[in-house]
Amino acid sequence: MHHVRVDEWSRGTSYIHSRDPRVKILVLLLFLVALTTTPPARSLPGFLLQIFTYAGLLWIGTATAGLPAGALELRAMAVLPFSAVFALITWLAGDPSRALLLVTRSYLSALAVLLVVATTPIPLLLRGLGALGAPRILVLIVQFLHRYLFVISEQAQHMRSAAACRQAGTKSRRLSTFQAASGAVSVLFARSYNRAEGIHRAMLSRGFQGQFAQGTPLRLTSGDGVFAVLMLAMICSLRLAFLSR
Amino acid sequence: MHIPDNFLSTPVWTLMDAISIPAFGLIARRASRNLDESRIPLLGVLGAFVFAAQMINFPVGIGTSGHLVGAALLACTLGPAAAVVVMTAILAIQAFVFQDGGILALGANVFNMAIGGVLAGYLPYRIWGATKARRFAIFLGGFLSVMVGACLALAELLISGVPMPRPVILVSVGLFCVSSLIEGAITLSVIEAIGRLNPGWVRGPSRGNNRIVLLLGGVALILTVAGFLIASTAPDGLERLGQQLGMTARSAFQAPLADYSAPIAGSVWAKRASAGLAGLVGIYGACLLLGRLVLQRKGVRVESA
Repeated sequence: MHHVRVDEWSRGTSYIHSRDPRVKILVLLLFLVALTTTPPARSLPGFLLQIFTYAGLLWIGTATAGLPAGALELRAMAVLPFSAVFALITWLAGDPSRALLLVTRSYLSALAVLLVVATTPIPLLLRGLGALGAPRILVLIVQFLHRYLFVISEQAQHMRSAAACRQAGTKSRRLSTFQAASGAVSVLFARSYNRAEGIHRAMLSRGFQGQFAQGTPLRLTSGDGVFAVLMLAMICSLRLAFLSR
Repeated sequence: MHIPDNFLSTPVWTLMDAISIPAFGLIARRASRNLDESRIPLLGVLGAFVFAAQMINFPVGIGTSGHLVGAALLACTLGPAAAVVVMTAILAIQAFVFQDGGILALGANVFNMAIGGVLAGYLPYRIWGATKARRFAIFLGGFLSVMVGACLALAELLISGVPMPRPVILVSVGLFCVSSLIEGAITLSVIEAIGRLNPGWVRGPSRGNNRIVLLLGGVALILTVAGFLIASTAPDGLERLGQQLGMTARSAFQAPLADYSAPIAGSVWAKRASAGLAGLVGIYGACLLLGRLVLQRKGVRVESA
């Protein structure tokens, strides 16, 4: 499963892995803003130069983090179903250069996000987001959601296989299948609800007092400062290099 | 429709972030005020449930199948404010972990699907949930939750200047209608099934003082209807609106930076690059400020609640 791989990647120990999550989030935002505000090039060589320069920056990051570039690039293609459809419409509407721009830039943005997620374990990333001002309730819920996502998904998978086994070979009427599906969803809901109650009981038995612990605060090191300055300089100079069309 | 980055123009995504971050902050504050922290695992696990429920296919005829989106379902089982927070958590996971939707466009996606979708989906249930028309209200809620989100996304794309010929707009609105009808049917069917398992899991429409919810839901609905009407009658109008929005944003960002831009690198750099960054910094500052203000007044508001 691909997300398990991203999870494995994020547990590395490279230079980029060990940077503070807040710095990585801010650098990611800077990169995305620089990319999205770069004026589109007028000629094809100019366009290619822009795309490959930004891609180059991401490749350097991938290499420094010791991640498999090919697998990462393949994974970032998750953005293509949406962007390719709209790019096709844009192309057919008579604006091929914009279509290319939409596909390539949305792909590079997805790659940049993936690079950050593949070098930061989700709990750490969430602590970074929380430290940057994301509401506490959201951070806590995302944490639980991520932790139980694969557990509940696996349960859904089992239910699906079981349903397929039961109705093997029979062609049931559409309405009854529809009702069976909503029955399955409601059973999944009930199981999730009961699981949440179980989690709550387990928390209480371990001494939960009604408030989640805050966790140790994140600490910025001098290495983070150097990384931040370096990235700021690189991204800003790239953005300045593409000042005009 | 999860909009990726680079599809929305800079004025549009900065504006949507500037709207949805404080709006979400208010709703999250409201949700956590009414919420015991021991319920947080439930919200997280039900978020995971919505993800997983998408694996279960519903046959809808002509060989195709639909799946649950879940905004209206969450609103009816958790209440609107908690449902908005759970939907936002889902969108955040989708954007970060699955590259489904952009980071800069997260504000727009949250507004379309979490805030607009959930509140518009809850609106009919809030109004007719306790009457004879309860089943219709749930169906309509499911319908609206998808329709509002999709139409808002389409309008934002049009304002950003993504060129879409008229037939494409009409076809996509038609497709939205179909998937919204499917969502309505699935939501109704699933909520009835859940109610049979345990009636306590489906919340009655709260008659409490939730004006913000009603207001935001109404605004999302009005925006959708307006966007839909403009898009179907005069798509050029939306594009023009986009251009004007771009010009206003540019002049707004230019003005405070005008004195500084000349010595740095001419005005071109200040104009374009600063727009996005200044927007982000502005949004961040505004949210911190708003958060502080709300926190300071929280003591008073808890008593009144």
